[in-house]
Parts: sequence; C-alpha cells; structure tokens
Amino acid sequence: MAGRSRRRGRFTVLSRYGFSTLFSSRPFTAYTVLCMIPFLVGMTIVYLVHNAAVQSMLNGQFGRTTWINNLFFMRFLGIEAQMGFVLIAWGAPGMVSKDFANHAVQLYLSRPLSRAEYLLGKVSVIGVLLSSTTWIPTLVLFVLQAQLEGHGWGWTNFWMVGSIILSGLLGIALVSLVSMAIAVWVRWRIAATALLMGVFFVLPGLGAAINAVLRTRWGMLLNFTYLVGVVWTHLFRIVDRLGRPLGVFDLVPLWSAWATLLTVCLISLGLLHHRLKAREVERS
Amino acid sequence: MAAVIELDNLSVQLGQRIILNGLKGALSGRSIGLLGPNGSGKSTLINTLLGFYRPLSGSARIFGKDVASHLRDLRARIGYMPESDAFIADMSGVQFVRYMAEISGLPPSEAMERAHEAFFYVGLGEARYRKLGTYSLGMKQLAKLAQALAHGPRLLLLDEPTNGLDPEARTRLLQLVREIRDTGEVSVLISSHLLHDVEECCDEVMILKEGRIAALCNLEEERKANLKFLELEVSQGNGFLESVQALGCECASFGAGRLKVVLPDNIEVRQLYRLAAEHSVQIRRMNYRRDSLEDIFLKAMSQKETSTGNPPPPPPLPRSANGSL
Repeated sequence: MAGRSRRRGRFTVLSRYGFSTLFSSRPFTAYTVLCMIPFLVGMTIVYLVHNAAVQSMLNGQFGRTTWINNLFFMRFLGIEAQMGFVLIAWGAPGMVSKDFANHAVQLYLSRPLSRAEYLLGKVSVIGVLLSSTTWIPTLVLFVLQAQLEGHGWGWTNFWMVGSIILSGLLGIALVSLVSMAIAVWVRWRIAATALLMGVFFVLPGLGAAINAVLRTRWGMLLNFTYLVGVVWTHLFRIVDRLGRPLGVFDLVPLWSAWATLLTVCLISLGLLHHRLKAREVERS
Repeated sequence: MAAVIELDNLSVQLGQRIILNGLKGALSGRSIGLLGPNGSGKSTLINTLLGFYRPLSGSARIFGKDVASHLRDLRARIGYMPESDAFIADMSGVQFVRYMAEISGLPPSEAMERAHEAFFYVGLGEARYRKLGTYSLGMKQLAKLAQALAHGPRLLLLDEPTNGLDPEARTRLLQLVREIRDTGEVSVLISSHLLHDVEECCDEVMILKEGRIAALCNLEEERKANLKFLELEVSQGNGFLESVQALGCECASFGAGRLKVVLPDNIEVRQLYRLAAEHSVQIRRMNYRRDSLEDIFLKAMSQKETSTGNPPPPPPLPRSANGSL
C-alpha cells in the first residue's frame, strides 16, 4: 500500500489545486494584482495625511487627519469588496462547474473526502482570495492609521477591528455561498458567471421596479449589495446623533437586512446540500 | 479465503422504490462478477459499497469492516471506476490522476509518480499530457481505470468498464483487468450486463435480478467441472465409441458422428486423438463445453424464487393518493 498523507485537512488538496488553476490564468493573476491598487492608494492617503512636510507644502490642503474615520474605512472596504466580487465572479464558478460538468464529483466523493470537506476546499479558495483583497488590507490600513495618529487613536477606535472583520466575513460568506450554489446548479461556467451577475445586478432592478409599482421600500430586500451596505453602516456606526443610519442606507430596517442575508446564505447551503451528491436518485 | 465483501440482509431504497432487497452472501473471489439485466441493482450495490447510498436495513462489510462505520478508511482502500463519464475536461490526464491520488491520501510527489505509472500501465503513456476533454471514449475509460488504480487500492470497483468500447479497446481493457487480478494484490468487482466480460475476468459471480440475488456461484469450480466435458464431431468409424468408453470415459452418441464425452481426471485429450488415429477416424470438431455462465444466468433469470434463501418480495409500500409515501 502506498504511503498515506495526513487524514485531516485533506480539503487543502482541493484548495491548492483551486489556487493553482485560478492563477494559471494570466488575466486572473493580473486582475488580482490590480485589486491591491486601492490598498496602495489607501496607504498613500493615510501616510500623506499624517506627513507634516507634505501638509506644509500644500498648505494643509491635502486633507485632515479627521478624514480617516469609520466612514473612510467602510468606503475603502466597499471599494475592495466590489473589486473582490469581480474576482470571484470570474474565478469561482469555474472551480465547481468543471467538477459537475463531467460528473467528476463522484470520483471526489468515492475517496476519503466528505461533502463538507469538498465544499470547504472550494470555499476556502474564495475565502482566502476575498480576505486578502477586502478585510485584511483594511485592517492593515487601520493599524497604519493607528500607528501614525498615535494619542490612543487605536484604542479609542478598537471597536472598528471587529467591524472590519465581521463586515468582510459577511460579504465573503454571501458571495462564496451564492456563487457556489449557482455553479453547482448551472454547471456551465459562463452561464454561472452571468447568473451570479444577475443575482447581484438584475435582482436590484427588479426590486426597484417593485418599489415603484407598489410604492414600497421592501423591494430593496432584493438588492443584496444594498443590504450588505445597511449592515455595514450599522457595524461601522455610521449614524446621526439620533442613532439613525446616515446616507441612503435607511430604506429598510437592520433586522430585515440581516434576516434576508442569512436566508440567502441558508438557501444557498440548502441548494448545495441538495445538489452536491455522488449520485442523483431517480424518483419514480 | 477471507471474504472480500459480505452482505447481511442488505436493502436499499431510492425514492419510493426498493432497489436492493435483502441481499445476503459473502464474496471471496479474487475477481468477482456482478451480473444482471439493466435495472437489477448492480450499480446501486456498488454505490452502496462506496457509501453513496445508506442502507434501508442490513449492512455491508468490505474486508470485514462495516461500510457505514469505517467509510473513510475503506474509501482509501477502494478504487472506483464509474459507469458514466467522470473527469475534469481541462486537466491533463496525468494531472487529473495525480489530483485524485492526492485526495486519496498520497503525498504530492508520490501521487505524481504513481499517476505516471498508472498511465503507462493502462497504455496511455503517450497521451498523459493531453487534456482529458480531447480523449476518445476508449481513452477516457482507460483514464478512469488509471485514476482508480493510482493510489494502490486493495479493492477495485469497476462499473460497466467496457461500456461503449470498440472490440479492440474492450479486449485491451479486459486484458488489463485480468492482469490486475493476477497480480494477487487487488480484488476486483466488475459490474456488467455482458456475460462474456464477466466470464473472461471473474472467478466468482453474483447474479442480481430485480434487486435480489438470483445466483451466487464460483465460476472457477464450474469451469473445473466442465473442463472435461467435450463435444466431438467425427467421421463414422467402427469401434471408436467403444474404445473411448473402454478408456473409462462416459460417452453418448447423437448420430451423424456427434458425440459428447466426459473425460475422467486421469484421461487427457491426446489419448482421444491416438484412439482416433488407431481407428482411422477423423475428428472434425472438438469443443470444450464453455457455456456454463450463460446456463447459470439463464437459469437464474428464469427462476421465480432464488436458491439463496432470500425471502419473498415484501408487499409494495403504501402510497397516498398523490403517489407519495
């Protein structure tokens, strides 16, 4: 009998092959590098705002250190998340649909690999990619700001660490589960990518139409990006003196945003559970 | 010989149908054939052995270990070649087999080495860097066999391995299966509805009919029993029949020179040639009787109840008005 590797963590084989496949595409690799540009811009802004020489050179017109606040970090995370979404829409469906297109899933599951491990192997690729382009750079930026600002700024705003991580993880969970569920059902990479775009960009249009016709705001529940914005606004405490969310993220209550996003995640998990099988049972 | 697969009153229900119904038996052959018409439950049995389907009742054991409780361990020791296409189209053959071997538990470097070996073993060495999507049907079958072999399994489950193959590819694949069997390191279970495939490769056979065991027999023993049974066609010759009988053979004549002869263990075929020469008899045709599996299969298919003691079929499951349970 051939030598055996460790029993646990076998899903990492899937992750390794997933990364290898994704980064074998040059355009994908180039775009991943592109996703780091907002991070570099953010770092530059934070540095320059705190740089006395630059400020004096520009007569203090570059910006004030008060710019770098919770709103700045939420916007930065939002920009990174949008770029990360394109990254996932590009790469994630292919990782799964290839396995389903020619029934290779039965070969995975005939080995010492459970369905949960299969899913974990694939989701971990999305998770690592999105983490490295969203909440991790934001956190690094926060640390840089805390370092440059000093005077206890870091401790005063330490709550933002939780907000950044939780916001990032919420986005990752939503995007990864929805993209996997779509890929498993559609099986054709291009169609899966199109459908993923449809879920995030066409459904909001439908929601807006519902709002216009029925004179309601509940159509916004079909706009998942907006719902994520509602949750983030609260997590980053972007509120007025009365505790109401600032800006446009006040059309639906917070609880409905959480409930909808959790429901979408649960439905995606249900779809995955239903479809991710070695054999399909024929019902008679 | 220790049993490879043991079935203990195994029943499997899919949807509303009972597909396997109280299977009971032990299979200990080096190469086991699973025969039966389409829909008899062959693939379902294989899928149950792989843990894809949960038994409704009863249990299955492989190498003495219960499938349900030792699934992970057993899957590492099983190689599975499914009936349908199963590959990742844009991976090269060797990359795909390496990937599968790594998931089975081999370290990356060893998986790569074994993937190359497996590809050369099945005769696809030259095509191993080509993408699987460009393979012909026969090559895909061989690639499936390679991925089933690469991690060094102790049991190979082959579901309809010759499906869709041309005669040459089929012969090649069956030859490979025989070679694998003859290494003595791997037990093979072949599911097929082709008698010839099973007869060529297997020493034990289980015949399924409507989810029940219709027959379970050792082909090797059947072959031994039939080995000395000859059918002859000879030119008319005085005294040949009597001389053959005098050798100690049981002999029956069917006219027009057609004889059936059962040779005792101590008599060899060349002695018949010698007698024929002595009596100036021309032997025009001589056949070993080799239709044993077909006989067994037809007999099993025509039986209403099995000889293995399976219970009679249970009454149909109650249905509600809309057809659901």
